[in-house]
Amino acid sequence: MRALGEIMVLLVKAAPMALLRGAALSVVVLVMGAALLGLSGWFITATGIAGIAGIGIAFNVFQPSAGVRFLALGRTAARYGERLLTHDATLRALAKLRVDLMAKRLTLGARALAKLRSEAVLTRIVADVDALDGVVLRLLLPSLAAVAAHAVAFASLGLLAGWEMAGLITLIYLVGGVLVLSTLTRRTIAVSRDGETASQSLRRGIIDTLRDRPALTIYGRLSERLAELARLDIKTRSAADSLDRDDRMAGLFLALVVTLAAAAALALGGWLVANGRVDPAVAAIGVFVALALGETVLPLMRGASDLGRMASAAERIRDLQGARPASGEPLDPSRAEDGPPALTPTPATPAPASAQTPALAVAMPDGPRFTLMPGESACLVGPSGAGKTTLLLTIAGLIERPRAEIRLFGRPLETIVEAERRKILVMVPQRSALLAGTVRDNLTLPGSQTDARLWEALQAVELTRLFEARNGLDTRLGEAGAGLSGGEARRLALARAILCAPQILLLDEPTEGLDAATSQAVLAGIQGVLPDTAILAVMHRGQDAAKFSRQIALIGASILG
Amino acid sequence: MSSLTAPAEETIDPAPASPRNGQREATARLLEPVKAQLRRAGIVTVAAGLVWPLQAAAIAIAISSWTAGKVDLSLTILCAGAFLLGGLVKAALEHHAGRILFTAADQVVARERQRLTSCAAKGGLGLGSAEIAALAVQKLPLLQPFVTRYQMAMMRVAVIPLTLVLISLWFSWVVAAILLVAGPLIPLFMALVGMAAEQASRRQMVEIGSINAALMERLSALLDIRLLGAGERALADFEARADDLRERTMAVLKIAFLSSTVLELFAAIGVAMVAVYVGFNLLGELTFGSWVPTLNLGAGLFLLLLAPEFFQPLRDLAAAWHDRASGLAVVAELDALESGDQPARLGAGRALPRLEGPLALALSGCAVARGIGSRLALPDLVLKPGEAVALVGPSGSGKSTTLAVIAGLVPTSAGAVRVCGEPLGDINADAWRARLAVIPQRPHFADETLAAFLDPRATGADPWPALQLAQARRLVERLPNGLATRLGETGDGVSGGEARRLLIARAVMAGGDLVLADEPTADLDPETAAFVTNSLLALKERGLTLIVATHDLALAAALDRTVEMPR
Repeated sequence: MRALGEIMVLLVKAAPMALLRGAALSVVVLVMGAALLGLSGWFITATGIAGIAGIGIAFNVFQPSAGVRFLALGRTAARYGERLLTHDATLRALAKLRVDLMAKRLTLGARALAKLRSEAVLTRIVADVDALDGVVLRLLLPSLAAVAAHAVAFASLGLLAGWEMAGLITLIYLVGGVLVLSTLTRRTIAVSRDGETASQSLRRGIIDTLRDRPALTIYGRLSERLAELARLDIKTRSAADSLDRDDRMAGLFLALVVTLAAAAALALGGWLVANGRVDPAVAAIGVFVALALGETVLPLMRGASDLGRMASAAERIRDLQGARPASGEPLDPSRAEDGPPALTPTPATPAPASAQTPALAVAMPDGPRFTLMPGESACLVGPSGAGKTTLLLTIAGLIERPRAEIRLFGRPLETIVEAERRKILVMVPQRSALLAGTVRDNLTLPGSQTDARLWEALQAVELTRLFEARNGLDTRLGEAGAGLSGGEARRLALARAILCAPQILLLDEPTEGLDAATSQAVLAGIQGVLPDTAILAVMHRGQDAAKFSRQIALIGASILG
Repeated sequence: MSSLTAPAEETIDPAPASPRNGQREATARLLEPVKAQLRRAGIVTVAAGLVWPLQAAAIAIAISSWTAGKVDLSLTILCAGAFLLGGLVKAALEHHAGRILFTAADQVVARERQRLTSCAAKGGLGLGSAEIAALAVQKLPLLQPFVTRYQMAMMRVAVIPLTLVLISLWFSWVVAAILLVAGPLIPLFMALVGMAAEQASRRQMVEIGSINAALMERLSALLDIRLLGAGERALADFEARADDLRERTMAVLKIAFLSSTVLELFAAIGVAMVAVYVGFNLLGELTFGSWVPTLNLGAGLFLLLLAPEFFQPLRDLAAAWHDRASGLAVVAELDALESGDQPARLGAGRALPRLEGPLALALSGCAVARGIGSRLALPDLVLKPGEAVALVGPSGSGKSTTLAVIAGLVPTSAGAVRVCGEPLGDINADAWRARLAVIPQRPHFADETLAAFLDPRATGADPWPALQLAQARRLVERLPNGLATRLGETGDGVSGGEARRLLIARAVMAGGDLVLADEPTADLDPETAAFVTNSLLALKERGLTLIVATHDLALAAALDRTVEMPR
C-alpha cells in the first residue's frame, strides 16, 4: 500500500495543475448533475402546487427553467473538459512514470541489465505500468470528486431544505459508501494478488511447456504438463470468479445505499412537510438530490476493486527500482546513493602519470594480469565459459569483483565517476541492441555528429555500400534493428561505438557472424579510425588474432568438467 | 522447419484487421455454447431495468400527496418502503444477471484457453510460445468484460428505452416525442457514437502499444546505452517521444470524447425539456400534448423520473464500448489462429512402458508434406543397435525434420517408418518414445531446479554419474546452488557449451537406448565442440545408439557412418 502511495505522489507531481483543474471540473460535473435533478424536481413540484392554486402565469417560471437549461448544458461542457484534462494529466503521469522507470534502471549492474532483455520481465514491467493508469483516473480523482460533491451537496441542502435532510443523506452515503468500498478493497487485495500470481505461473507454464514440447513429448511428460496447466487455469479462473463475486456484491450494496438514501429522504421529507417545517417543493429537492448523488459512488467501484491489482503492480515497480539483483551484485558505487564502499583499496601512492602510463592495467586475483598502452590492441582468447565477457564487464565497471585491480590511465577504476568512465571507456557487448528508427538515430544515440563523421564511421565498418544502396543515413530500421542481418547489426553497433572516440574500447566478439574477409576489414577499419585507442577484444576465431598486436589467454581450466 | 527445436519466435501483427462480417461470425461462434445463458441473463437484466417505473411511481405518489392539504405521513412511509423494496429487487436481479453472465464468460475463456494450449502443445498454430501464452493468459480475460458489460448493455438498450417511451406516451405524447427526438433514431445514434469511438480507441490502442514497445526496446537496450554513456541523451529522447505520443493521443481522444459528449448533451437536453414542458403544463400554460388538459403533479414527477432512465442504457453502452473494442480484438486474433493448419503428432505424450524387442529403426521412401503441393523427401535408413550415425546435409535440407519423424513428432505423408519391427503409429508412438532420448539444438530451461531438469522422466535417480559422463560435473558444482539452481528461461549463468553438456547429461538420465541429437556442436568454438563430441562418444561407448544431425565435419567423422540427406 505504501508503494501505491509513492507512485501516486509521483503521478500527481507529473502534472499537478492539469490534475487540479480536472478534479475541479469533476466536482462541477457531479454538483451540476445533482443540482439539475434537484432543481427540476423542485420546479415541477412548485408548478404543480401553483397550478392547483390557480396562480398560473403569475408564478415566475423563467428563472427556474433557464436554470434547468443552464445546468443541462453546463454539465455536459464540464464533463467534456473534465475528461480531456484528467486523461491528459494521466497520460503525462504515465509518461513520467515510464521515464522514471528507465532512469532508475540506468544505474543497474550488468547482470540486472541483461535480465531486462528477458521478454517475460519486460512484459511484466509494461503490464504493471499499464495497471497503474487507473490510480489517478479511477481511484484518486473520483474519490476526491465524490467527497467534494458531497460537501457541496451537504451545505446547499442544509441551507435550502434544512440540516436534518442534509445530515441524513450525507450520513447514509458516507457510512454506506465507506463500509461497502472498504470491505470490497479488503476482500479483493489478497485475491487479486493470488490471481496475479496464478496467472503468472500459468503464463510461465505455457511458455515452458511449448518451448520444451519435443523433449516433453518424447519423455512422456506432455499430458502430465497439460494437466498441470489445466490446474493452474482453474486457479486463475477461480481467483477471477472470487473477484467477480466481491465486485457484484459491492455493486448490490452500493445500489442499496443509494436506494436507502432516497427512501430515507422521502420519508424525512414527508415528516418535515407534515410538520410544516418546509414546503413540499423544497422537500422534493432532498429526494431528487439523494437520487442524483448515486453518480458519485458508483464510479468508485472499479477503482476500489482494482486496488489490489494496482497495489501489487506498484510494489513490483518500486521493488524493481530499489532492490538489488538477487545475485547480490552491487550497484555501481559512483551512481547509487547507498552503494557499497569501493571494494578495492585505493593505493596510498597515486600512480605517476607519464607517457609511459598504460591506458589500461588489469590485475585479476585469480586470472590474468596485463597492461595495454594507448594505440595497442589485444585479443582475449579462451574456451567458452572461461569468463571472457565477465572480465570485459568488470573492466567496464558493470560487475564488481573483489580484489580486482583495474586502472585506467593509472587511476583506479572505482575512483572515476560514471560520466567520466564512459567518456574514457566504451564497450560493445556481445548481443548489442539497436533501436527502431533511422540509421542516424542509432548512430547519434551517444551524441550528435556531423553526417561526414557518421559516414566515416560507417566506412570503417564496411557499411557504406549497404546504406548508400538504401536510404542513406535516413534508412529506417525496425524494432531492435530489424531489417539488418546479424552481421550488419553488429557492424552498426561497432560504428556507434567508434563515434564516441573512446580512449579505451572493449569489444565482445566483434566479428561474430561476419565472414573472414569482412571481419579482417572491419578490425583494420576500427584500428585505422581510432589509432590512439587501446582496444581489447574477445575473440574465439583464431584467424582474426593476426590483426591484434597481442594475445591474452584466459584459461578457465577450473571451470571445465 | 526444425521441429525438434524450440518454435521460432516470430511476431505477427498484434491485431489482424478482419472484415466486420467475419468478426460478427467469429463472435457468434464464440458465444454459441453460452447462448441460452446470455438469453436468460438478458431477460433478468431487462426485468431489473423495468423495476424503475414502479420506484418512480412510489416517489411521485408520495411527493404529490404532500400538496394535498393535510399530509398523510403513513402513505409517504408506505411509498418509501415500496421504493426501498423495488431497489432491493432491482439490485438483486442485476446481481443475478451478472452472475449468469460471468459464468458464461468464464466458460468461454476456459474453453478457448484449453483449446489454445492443447492445439499449441500438438505443434504448430504458427505462433511463438510467448505470443500464445500472452493470448491465453493476458488477452483471453478481456472477453470477460466484453460479455458481462458490453453484452448486458446491448440487451438493455434494445428494450428499456422503447418501453419507457411507451409508458410516457400513456401520459403525454409530447414527452414521448421529446424522448424520441432527444435520442434520435437510436440505432443511428449508436452507430455515430460507436464508429467514431471505435476508430479513435483503436488508434489510441496503437499509440499506447507503440509507447510500450519503445519502453521495452529501450529497457532491453539499456546495457548498450549505459556502456556507451548515452544514458542522459537516451532518456531525454525517450521523454520527448513519450510527450509527442501523449499529444497525438490527446488529439485522438478529443474526437473520441466528443461523440460521447454528444450523447450526454442529448440526454441533458432531453431531461431539461421534459422538466420544462411538464412545469409549464402543470401551470396550465401549455395545454397540448397530454391526453387530459393538464397533467397532475404525480404524473409530472413520474415523467421527470423516467427521463434520465431512458438515456441510462445508452450511456452504459457508450461506456462499455471500450470493452467491446478490446473483446473484438481478441476474437479477431483467435479467429486468425483457427485458420492455421496443425500437423498432428502421433500418440498423446503420455508415459508408457517401453516398446518391447531389440532396438530397430527403418525409414523407407518417407516424405513429409510441406505446405500445399510441396514435399520433403527423407533419407532411407536402417539402423543397427549400438551404431552412431551422422545425418548430414545443407541447412534446410530436413535433418531436424527427419529426427522429428523418427520421434513421431511429425507425421509422414508417404513411405514407412518401422520401429522395433512394427510400423510407427498412434498406438505405439508413446511406447516407442519411451526408448528415446533427445538433445535439442537450443536448450530451454524451464522454471524448475536443475535436478528436475536433468531427470526428465522423474525417475529420482542420482544425476551425478550422468553429469560425469557428459563432463558437466564441475560446472554443476561451480553453480552457487548446485543441483537446486533454477537456470530460468535463457540458461542465465551457463555458457552455450555448458548448456549442451547439461542437455547430454539429461539425455543420459532419460535412460533411452536411442539418442537423437540435433546440431550438438553448432555455434561452439573448436575446443568446446571437441568436448561435446567426446561426451557424445562416451554415450556410444556405453552401448547407446546415436543419430546426430550435424554439419560439423569433425563430429561426423568421429561417428561410425554418415547418411546424406537426399537432394
